[in-house]
Amino acid sequence: MPDRVLEVKNLSVDIPLAEGVLHAVDDLNIYVDKGETLCIVGESGCGKSLTSLAIMDLLPKKAIRRLRQLDLAGTSILDYSEKQMSDIRGNKMGMIFQEPMTSLNPAFTIGNQMIETLHRHRTISGDEARDLAKRMLEKVGITAADQRLGQYPHQLSGGLRQRVMIAMTLLCEPELIIADEPTTALDVTIQAQILLLLKDLQNEFDMGLMLITHDLGVVARIATRVAVMYAGQIVEQGTAQQIFENPLHPYTRGLMRCIPVPGKTKRGTPLGSIPGMVPSLIGEFTGCRFADRCDMASDACRQSDISLRDPKGKTQAYRCIHDAKTLAKSEVA
Amino acid sequence: MAELMIDAKDVTRNFSISRGMFRGKQQLKAVNGVNLTVARGEVLALVGESGCGKTTLAKMLLGLLPQSSGTVELCGKPINDVPRLELARTVQPIFQDPYSSLNPRKTIGSIIALPMKVQGVADPDSMQRRVEETMELVGLPPRLRNAFPNQLSGGQRQRVAIARALVNRPQIVVCDEPTSALDVSVQSQILNLLNDLRDELNLTYIIISHNLAVVEHIATRVAVMYLGRIVEVADTDKLFNDPQHPYTRALLNSVLTPDPNLGIPNNQLGASYPNPIDPPTGCSFHPRCANAMPHCSGIAPVGKAQKGHYVECHLYED
Repeated sequence: MPDRVLEVKNLSVDIPLAEGVLHAVDDLNIYVDKGETLCIVGESGCGKSLTSLAIMDLLPKKAIRRLRQLDLAGTSILDYSEKQMSDIRGNKMGMIFQEPMTSLNPAFTIGNQMIETLHRHRTISGDEARDLAKRMLEKVGITAADQRLGQYPHQLSGGLRQRVMIAMTLLCEPELIIADEPTTALDVTIQAQILLLLKDLQNEFDMGLMLITHDLGVVARIATRVAVMYAGQIVEQGTAQQIFENPLHPYTRGLMRCIPVPGKTKRGTPLGSIPGMVPSLIGEFTGCRFADRCDMASDACRQSDISLRDPKGKTQAYRCIHDAKTLAKSEVA
Repeated sequence: MAELMIDAKDVTRNFSISRGMFRGKQQLKAVNGVNLTVARGEVLALVGESGCGKTTLAKMLLGLLPQSSGTVELCGKPINDVPRLELARTVQPIFQDPYSSLNPRKTIGSIIALPMKVQGVADPDSMQRRVEETMELVGLPPRLRNAFPNQLSGGQRQRVAIARALVNRPQIVVCDEPTSALDVSVQSQILNLLNDLRDELNLTYIIISHNLAVVEHIATRVAVMYLGRIVEVADTDKLFNDPQHPYTRALLNSVLTPDPNLGIPNNQLGASYPNPIDPPTGCSFHPRCANAMPHCSGIAPVGKAQKGHYVECHLYED
């Protein structure tokens, strides 16, 4: 069995609202192995960010997290106290968020913030910390690192800030990095550079990477495994090859037809689309959550909950009552 | 040759940037000598990294921002001489974020009707009829007329923004990142809608986008901008199949198509976009260019057009 960095079993997140309980994440199981990249992909509101926050125990106060198992590098952190969790966050578990400007403190220099991270988690002298911070900045491709340590976040460009965030995350050599839309705020050119950097560093440090994004292009290029989320559930998971070359679930298949691909989709011809809207997740929900938008839906789909199944044991699991053969042949208009 | 809708010649826009108290102002050349034509029925895409001047250029084409020098002609008339109302009838914008471009306190109906009121349409019946027609045109059920923006989904809001732009039947629509704030499945619906509307109403689009896959799908011609200058213009097929400028090549190389068998591209661009207040000498792209030659840092390249393919690079000079 490979080294498992993260194991999450039966995660649910409920948010009590005035109108009822919002079941934002429903019975989710994921794992990340060493050196592997798990991409969680889905549209806004599908619960992908809440999943990552739940794993880091950073959910908003009123959200209720239920979880059967939460292991980080073989140790259960399910019952950790707030103090123990904050020892782990930024240390064994690194985090990279979407907008680096909001996750860096504008009132302190880059150097200050990096050294503070080190002092928080390591017993280390000031000079050593500064030296390590400088080396880490060089590692993420920042030139004139000494000078950068004295600069404030607003003096750096978006790409540089995200590099600083990555350097800061790597300082304590985490076992797992959770990155929530790390490149969404960046230009395409910088996006490619940041992803390349993440991938290289991941190989070098042999970390597990959990990447949350809505961009299927990013997923295809960086993922080892993919989990597609829809309305709080994983509707399909498998290797990147399986998901992109042979998608099964009608939602995944629909998504693939929505994106224009240079050289493949003909200009001016209509792109595929998924009719309808994501259902409200307030209150109890029975049956397939995608049924109202699905061409293949029948009464059976709406009668009982459908489990994520992997009939052939080929690691590609999907949440649909139809069998793989029918799904693979289906053409959603 | 098709009728020219927009003809921009040597357009420049400077902004004065304060360097602090008692220290003079500095000029930032956001758009620096741009020549651009847009013919009727064309879909011209402006692409480039953030800060390259795409939006500033679009604002000047909309008449929202006066140019510092150069001329912009709209249907043969200098844009500065076109009366404000006529300009608004001809050119309309669609913005990126439908969550901030719609007034949250107005109903959908009154948001769409506002441009007509501005133009002086007083008859409430004809106004209502036009609102409903336009809502139908963009695929909004007319019953949403009395709803407020917060009751609508992102895709519906963007449809409202499109309806508002089209209600006076403009000839040119400037779309600034029309789908960037939307989900993939909604993005495809909006792109399909823009394509259909163009056929139906004979519209001319200027589309600003950083998503090159979207540009490839919808545009007929693409202009690549870098640091206030247009460095390459060509028909979409030509630009995507045979990009000439090293910057265009790097940009196209960075597009992540959803193919799991390809890795992450290395565009060799280096991390830093130059500071526009203090642009590099010579060709402004030379510090990041993989093909830079010694004279690139000293002499600015002169643009060269061949069969409608314009490129500004020393590699292609005689």
